[in-house]
Amino acid sequence: MVGLSLGEQNFIKGGIAQDLRTDGRKRLTYRPISVETGVIPQASGSARVKLGATDVIASVKAELGKPNPSHPDKGKVYIYVDCSPTAEPTFEGRGGEELSLELSSALQRCLLGGKSGEGAGIDLSSLSIVKGKVCWDLYIDGLVVSSDGNLLDALGAAIKAALSNTAIPKVQVAANASSDEQPEVDVSDEEFLQFDTTGVPVIITLTKVGRHYIVDATTEEESQMSSAISVSINRQGRICGLTKRGGAGLDPSVILDMISVAKHVSEQLINKLDSEIAAAEARDEEDEMDS
Amino acid sequence: MKLRFVGVDRSGAVWASEPVFIKMSKREIVKLTLLSAQSNSATTPTKTTTTIRGGARRLLTLCVWTDMEYVNPEGLRLDGRRPMEMRQLRGEIGVVSRADGSAVFEMGNTKVIAAVYGPREVQNRSQQLNDQALVRCEYSMANFSTGDRMRRPKGDRRSTEISLVIRQTMEACILTHLMPRSQIDIFVQVLQADGGTRSACINAATLALADAGIPMRDLVTSCGAGYLNGTPLLDLNYVEDSAGGPDVTVGILPKLDKVTLLQMDAKLQMDTFENVMQLAIEGCKAVASYIREILLENTKQLESRRGV
Repeated sequence: MVGLSLGEQNFIKGGIAQDLRTDGRKRLTYRPISVETGVIPQASGSARVKLGATDVIASVKAELGKPNPSHPDKGKVYIYVDCSPTAEPTFEGRGGEELSLELSSALQRCLLGGKSGEGAGIDLSSLSIVKGKVCWDLYIDGLVVSSDGNLLDALGAAIKAALSNTAIPKVQVAANASSDEQPEVDVSDEEFLQFDTTGVPVIITLTKVGRHYIVDATTEEESQMSSAISVSINRQGRICGLTKRGGAGLDPSVILDMISVAKHVSEQLINKLDSEIAAAEARDEEDEMDS
Repeated sequence: MKLRFVGVDRSGAVWASEPVFIKMSKREIVKLTLLSAQSNSATTPTKTTTTIRGGARRLLTLCVWTDMEYVNPEGLRLDGRRPMEMRQLRGEIGVVSRADGSAVFEMGNTKVIAAVYGPREVQNRSQQLNDQALVRCEYSMANFSTGDRMRRPKGDRRSTEISLVIRQTMEACILTHLMPRSQIDIFVQVLQADGGTRSACINAATLALADAGIPMRDLVTSCGAGYLNGTPLLDLNYVEDSAGGPDVTVGILPKLDKVTLLQMDAKLQMDTFENVMQLAIEGCKAVASYIREILLENTKQLESRRGV
């Protein structure tokens, strides 16, 4: 991207100070979100989220695996993000690795809870099949196709949509397995269980430009930011994860203020996202019935 | 010993579903009961018995064989297509707004996004060419694009090879001498892979280059064809491609009627090869007319937006 001139930078900062951004939005308004589910047929669940010009795809694959010996009654979830060079020419080769790692670890922190798996947004115990022997491994893959700022929010929304689209096959465990050998697990092709996503949080990124905070920054606005906070909030209004990015120092009272603003914004976002996901799933079912 | 899913092919060679080593002493005669395996286990296997004479501690390696009918007696393939029928094509321009040109191209279940950045200033001064543009290409597959989740989407040998192939094909048709000391980047991302990814990538790259307004000699379109069960098949999908038969990928410049890419693996008789290549060229021409339609539609939309 070509650098911004001084005039352009002042225009962006001035606009934000006056609550009128370059594309006409207010400070706390999101760009139009469009959600499409079931885009990857061979995955257990998938979704594509467009937030303005930012376009991300998330896919969930469920595979059988062995649970961690320290947590025998919990399944495992792995989150990986890949930044495609189609989004930015600088992501070519290994250029996008740094950003991919940053996004993956931020998402893991928001969705997966602490080391013991406590407090995870995704209920890990629902993934266990036979305690200590067999569990579901969920591989969540994110792909950034087009980037225009606010990747973390878009990825969080895509993962939430993909998880609500995920259908985990029903399994039947052979009843006569002895206690020390691998039990036979029969994976059903016909019956599926919908994954429960009421506890999955959304991520809100607040970017501080000058003295004001904006939500859903574009790439130009992000280039003018002094610092940003990404808060992950679930439906009950609880904070599930927090990340601060950017070098400038923030006063603690400012951080608390930003968190309360994020909570306020999150209610609207969660409702909007849920209605978009429901509409996308309905469209998906209609297409399936037509074809 | 008991062997499961073993069969005999027409030349009398013995095949089994897993590699099996049978150690036989001199003059030992082993009688094997052979079951022919069908692709769907609903049919009962037929039994034939044959004898194999052993030599001095001869090890007999039995290999994998799948007896699959890729073209059934009525002439339909596994997905219901006729042998000369292509998969459904779908293309769309302008999907990545940040890029100078971008396109999505689908051939059946294979879905590919291409984005073009350029012509722009060369990033690496040492690679700058003083009389023409530098064309670079990167091919990457998404983690979720194949049936089994891939671990390493970039940098493996297949991706490097396909990047090279796409670069050479597109470089031949871009009028690079019009843009000296500049760089054109073509990035191709595979979202779903179901056979024919190389061809879908080249078709998507053509659309993206046209969207970016980069001057080209002609469109480049590509299609693949194979030969299974004695029939030439157009546009193989993943299952047909993994059958082990030959796979011919052809890229042409349709208006100029020239072949710019030709790749084949496995072996084929000379006259059969000509048939298969001709079939692939017909497929390329069909793709070319579809691509031309998309570009025409796009131009009409641009005209109406400008109020012409």
